[in-house]
Amino acid sequence: MRQLDDKIDRVLSMPPYCQPPEEKRADLVEILKEELEYECQRHAGYKNYVQHWPVDYRSAGQIADLPFLPVGILKANPPLSFVGPDEIKRTLTSSATTSQVPSRVVLDLPTTRRMTKGTAIILRDFIGPARRPYLVVDAPGLMGNGNALGARGAAIQGLQPFANETTYCLGLDDRGDLTLDRDRLREFAKDRQDTESLVYGFTFILWNHLVKPLMAEGICLNLPKARILHSGGWKRLRDQAVEKTLFNQQSARVFGCSPDHIVDFYGMVESVGVIYPDCPEGNKHAPGFGDVIVRNPLTLEPVAAGENGIVQVCSVLPTSFPGNLLLTEDVAKVIAYDGCPCGRRGISFRFAGRIPKAELRGCGNLQINRSLVN
Amino acid sequence: MTNLTENVNSPADISCAAVKLRQAVLDAETSPNDIMTVFDSWAKRLDAGELDDMPGIVFLRMWLRRGTLEPIIARELGANGLHGGWTAYGRAQCKAFPVGVVGHWPAGNVEIQPILSMTCALLGGNAVLVRIPSGLVDLTQCLMEKLVQSDPGELLTRRIFMAAFEHGRQDLHAAIAQAVDGAMIWGGEEAVSQIRALPFPHWARVAVFGPRISAAAMDAGAWGNPDEQESWCRRIARDVWQFDQQACSSPQVLFLEKGNGQSTAQFLLLLRRAFETENQAHPRRTIPAALTSAICQARASWLLKETGHQAVFPKAPDWTLLLGSGSDLPQPIHGKTLTVLEVDNLLDPVSKFDGNVQTLGLGIADPEKERKLALLAGKRGVDRIVKLGRMHVFVPPWDGVDLIRPMVRMVRHVCLTD
Repeated sequence: MRQLDDKIDRVLSMPPYCQPPEEKRADLVEILKEELEYECQRHAGYKNYVQHWPVDYRSAGQIADLPFLPVGILKANPPLSFVGPDEIKRTLTSSATTSQVPSRVVLDLPTTRRMTKGTAIILRDFIGPARRPYLVVDAPGLMGNGNALGARGAAIQGLQPFANETTYCLGLDDRGDLTLDRDRLREFAKDRQDTESLVYGFTFILWNHLVKPLMAEGICLNLPKARILHSGGWKRLRDQAVEKTLFNQQSARVFGCSPDHIVDFYGMVESVGVIYPDCPEGNKHAPGFGDVIVRNPLTLEPVAAGENGIVQVCSVLPTSFPGNLLLTEDVAKVIAYDGCPCGRRGISFRFAGRIPKAELRGCGNLQINRSLVN
Repeated sequence: MTNLTENVNSPADISCAAVKLRQAVLDAETSPNDIMTVFDSWAKRLDAGELDDMPGIVFLRMWLRRGTLEPIIARELGANGLHGGWTAYGRAQCKAFPVGVVGHWPAGNVEIQPILSMTCALLGGNAVLVRIPSGLVDLTQCLMEKLVQSDPGELLTRRIFMAAFEHGRQDLHAAIAQAVDGAMIWGGEEAVSQIRALPFPHWARVAVFGPRISAAAMDAGAWGNPDEQESWCRRIARDVWQFDQQACSSPQVLFLEKGNGQSTAQFLLLLRRAFETENQAHPRRTIPAALTSAICQARASWLLKETGHQAVFPKAPDWTLLLGSGSDLPQPIHGKTLTVLEVDNLLDPVSKFDGNVQTLGLGIADPEKERKLALLAGKRGVDRIVKLGRMHVFVPPWDGVDLIRPMVRMVRHVCLTD
């Protein structure tokens, strides 16, 4: 394990988007194979799965051949774990917007350390290393009870390394609903027009509880140097017919910054430590310690540039749960396998939403037993 | 090109069509014999090369032939039913009359089902109002063009109205329901429940087919016979492949009865080969991403759950065999994912069936065992017990219900003057 740790640390220490793709994939495939070996020793069921994979991972030459798990598997309760209960430092839960059943991932100390480092490395590449005032568009108290942490809390915490002071501008009213604390917001924005600052909120919270109400009142916060990061997906905003361009324009108007300061990033609790911010070209990239494979649903082979498919995220960071090779429930389009004008190497892609729910159309579509109904 | 599948936009379009259909039924009485003459000609026209790739076309051609339909009509409508005549019952006589206009809600997963469903009602002398699922409009149009060519006198085509509209148009579904005297509903749980709740007139006859699932079972005498193993495996693969395993008659699980310590390894190897061969012969051309996701999930869940579980599958989502033991009916995955479970006695899983199983496909060498299984299966709600390889053969009764008789009124005439 020590040797494996060192190898993961080595790729974590490299600049995240500079390695030529072939070289990066060759490095990653060897680490991922070692991780599979290690993880099979720690979980008999996982070993059973890996052993039945149509390609023997030990002889696999590319990441795409390695045994991936569908992300839904991480909804198991108790969660799938490669570490003993005494080694678990934290359990993260997803927001479960689609299925209502959250994913649960367990983190031991090494995975927690790598996760924090991974997020920081990626963000540093996008917003620079400086610490700055940090406005959280959420209510305090999301850091969870004990060792449990939700998706929003994890994202808020992931940005702490870039903060020198933190302000939460939402509170909870008597009914437990989020409400904008205008005094705190005003206080944060006061005299900050020449100061770099950082703002983060879940996409739909940022929109519903800050941008939309301030926009309606014609308020501008006058924070031209603010970087506004948001994540959590577009499902709830699409329901309100709010698309990315409109979101960026209106958010920029409220914060008084340029629309290119509004950065959407994709991240999932199940792939902790790897986030995918939009580059200035509007594309997403995989860092040196991870990769993205977009698979054709018909063949499960990687798609060609320009095509859509199911997203698989790959990361060498976790060793406490099976989060290295995960087939997500998202669809993306591969823009190119290298050569994004932003200068970041490797795959560039754009999300195209969730996998559409299967239409229940068949006379054989039956999911419950009659005895359960009665 | 004659456009027989109409894009319907308002409830008025439907009620207007229903008035014409009802008039067509009243205007002229047609006997099953007349209708079969058109069907026979239609079957011949469907033998065109351009339709060969259409799923279910071979079956549809066979279904429309006089040789297939005559015995069905004779059984359901009586000996004189073929010519629309009266059949004597003591001092009385009976004759089948149409219920009127029959609405059809076919499932979207069986390509030829709009046509199959419609033909059942037409044979009873009815007019039909068919809601075509969005994904089947072009295909149904192709089939209907052949009917138009086969029916120059418009004996049948003036009794048919095919409505194409979005699944979510509740107002149009309701308009069909209000306009019909009978309904044949096919489909999944959600769809069937929604349609059954529509405002049908109180007199409407409603026949519901599905949602159901199906299972297969073999005793050791069948799966262990080296001379027949390959043939059984081919039959199972064929039953799994048709309709992408989404039909109510598609086997979701195969129970193998253990026998005298005989290993199932050789049989499972042959089953794998049969799946590979079937996949080469009939590869998928498209797949919804959600189904791919469900298949990957099923493979992973199965293998992670128990170390004794095994599975065989290619890299692609083409097909999957999940291998284990136990007598519980697994949740269906569809998409050519067959769970193969070893059991001590085939009566164990069948005794757990709860009415959701439509067809039990059997591969049995022991006749006594077959009799016991058939009896138990019938008691446990199974409506069809057939040989493996013939699970989808559409012969009434289907779901325990006749196909023509539910949409006719049997009129009894007690003769006063003879």
